[in-house]
Amino acid sequence: MKGSSTGTPARSLLALALLAALILPARSLRPWVEYGPQQRVDTINPKMCVHTRLTDEVEPWKIQRSFEMVREMGAPWVVEYFLWAAHEPSRGVYDWTHADLVVDHAANQGLEVVARLGFVPDWARPPKTSQLYLDAAGYSAFAEFVAAFVTHFRGRVRFIVVWNEPNLSQEWGYRQVDPVGYTELLRQAYLAAKAANPDIKILGGALAPTLAPPGSQWALNDEEFLQRMYEAGAAPYFDILAAHSYGWTFSAEDPPASGSVNLRRVELLHDIMVRNGDGSKQVMITEGGWNDHPRWTKAVRPAQRVANTLDAYQMALDRWPWVTAMCVWAFRYPRPAGTYQDYFTFVDGSFRPKPIYLAAQAYARGEARQWLP
Amino acid sequence: MTGSPSTPWTRRSIRAFWRRHTLASSIVLAIGVLIALTLVARALTSGGDATARHIRQSGVWRVGMDPSFPPFEILDAGTGKPVGLDVDLVNAIAAQWGVRAEIVGLGFDELIDAVAAHRVDSAVSALPVAPLRTREVSFSSPYYEAGVVLAVPRDSSLSGTDDLGGRRVAAEWGSEGDAQARALQQRLGGELTLILRESPGEALAAVAAGEADAVIVDSVSLALYDPAGESLRVVGAPLRSDPYVVMVPANAPQLLKDVDVALAALDQDGTLARLKSRWLGANGR
Repeated sequence: MKGSSTGTPARSLLALALLAALILPARSLRPWVEYGPQQRVDTINPKMCVHTRLTDEVEPWKIQRSFEMVREMGAPWVVEYFLWAAHEPSRGVYDWTHADLVVDHAANQGLEVVARLGFVPDWARPPKTSQLYLDAAGYSAFAEFVAAFVTHFRGRVRFIVVWNEPNLSQEWGYRQVDPVGYTELLRQAYLAAKAANPDIKILGGALAPTLAPPGSQWALNDEEFLQRMYEAGAAPYFDILAAHSYGWTFSAEDPPASGSVNLRRVELLHDIMVRNGDGSKQVMITEGGWNDHPRWTKAVRPAQRVANTLDAYQMALDRWPWVTAMCVWAFRYPRPAGTYQDYFTFVDGSFRPKPIYLAAQAYARGEARQWLP
Repeated sequence: MTGSPSTPWTRRSIRAFWRRHTLASSIVLAIGVLIALTLVARALTSGGDATARHIRQSGVWRVGMDPSFPPFEILDAGTGKPVGLDVDLVNAIAAQWGVRAEIVGLGFDELIDAVAAHRVDSAVSALPVAPLRTREVSFSSPYYEAGVVLAVPRDSSLSGTDDLGGRRVAAEWGSEGDAQARALQQRLGGELTLILRESPGEALAAVAAGEADAVIVDSVSLALYDPAGESLRVVGAPLRSDPYVVMVPANAPQLLKDVDVALAALDQDGTLARLKSRWLGANGR
């Protein structure tokens, strides 16, 4: 028996609704989260920053707790990694679910998010390549993603970092590192982002501090890489230089030198900026700090790590007017790494604060330094 | 009737036969598929392991390592070459295979990617299992347990965590040992006093000095502090296990098997125990 005339309009409406659901671009529903009242950060040092690591943290309460503790420590800035592969699983289809959670909780805690973008989806690279592989054929796809990210987070994220440590072959998909290639990637991402939101600030570089010898298959010295970026015409295509500044076994005061990897190596990068007529730009140290593992050769004792870290925060405040924020790696890992890398963290997997956290918190409150126990 | 004993089989009679014997035909088909899958799997797992094949053919096993973590690996100050337990282990495994080991110095952060990208054949570098990366790399059986343990003086009557009520337990502040100690403190209703020190060595020394009844520390720190195993002993199972393993590409099942076989052989003939004693003392076994 054929359908009656009274059932046909309802079925047609249902069919239309289903069709609309299929053809409309996928939009993530903003996850419902329970926020507390809007918070603000109280601190004597507005340049304090930490690199959180919430990419693998799926539980909303842990994301919220992480940012609460960052705020309570006194750091107004966070760097967080947003994976292209996770947020654009297929071309033109976006899933901002997790990113919304992270950004909204950070904002609720009064934190400024610096969003590092990277990690290539399978569809944007040849088979059997690493997830950090992106050749020139994929630059436009990345730029489109950057534009989509900037558009979605307009008003909520004001700073983005394009790629990470492109002067390391590993981070360049195990290709020979290429300052010219990175500059082109940066250019395309910059133009796409500014077209989407002229107010967005683009951080470029994020170079790994390295003393790789000339001709190394694994890396290119960060000073040389930055100079070659300028020679390739990079200056108009980043607003702020992202820098990585690890202290290893040296104190915060250890003087900068081309043959040393220490905190103040960032001053050498700033010198390159000045020599290339870019001295008016700011630098943001998006990764850095010290490690206090008992046996790692590049670690210091815990008390020294505390002292060095606080010195670095203070140095950024009163000696480096060209540094916007000093972001220390890493606030917490979702689960223990079981390696010396656990000794970079401020808070353990169960949210127990380590001595470095308590010391930074006391510093941010303007209290005198003390070492426990 | 077709297919009767007195008439030859024709194509039509054969088809008719199979139609009548559907179950039999299904079973035969299933067996055929199973055989085919087995052959494919065998090809993939043995002849298809390009990494294992390359090592055999070239006579060189390229192993990524970050030589900054003694006593497992560090650059010798005199020669500039890597030395350590992992270095000796790699050479011992290579000797089992009759090949030469070539250690490739890499940053720790890039070891997994380097193995997954076949920039090196394997990585041995005090590496724990990385459960989130098993699509890209595989992990051998453990060759060393580096996890967190409870240690007590040799003459102590304490035999495990259940005996810690009312006791003093030392730990390095902010370490996994500290976290485990606090968890125990909670479990025991607060009836456990934490003696926190800046380093694992100082936590261990607190026990030696009588300032604590026990210490919760990683097994490597314990071994290095008391290499002869004279003053402290481990009681109970690790409070948190952190086994060190060899890492190979996920598509190198033959290589993984070869590594496991070699590790078992080195364990069996005492080589592994000798390496651990050499670099970690009697407490390192």
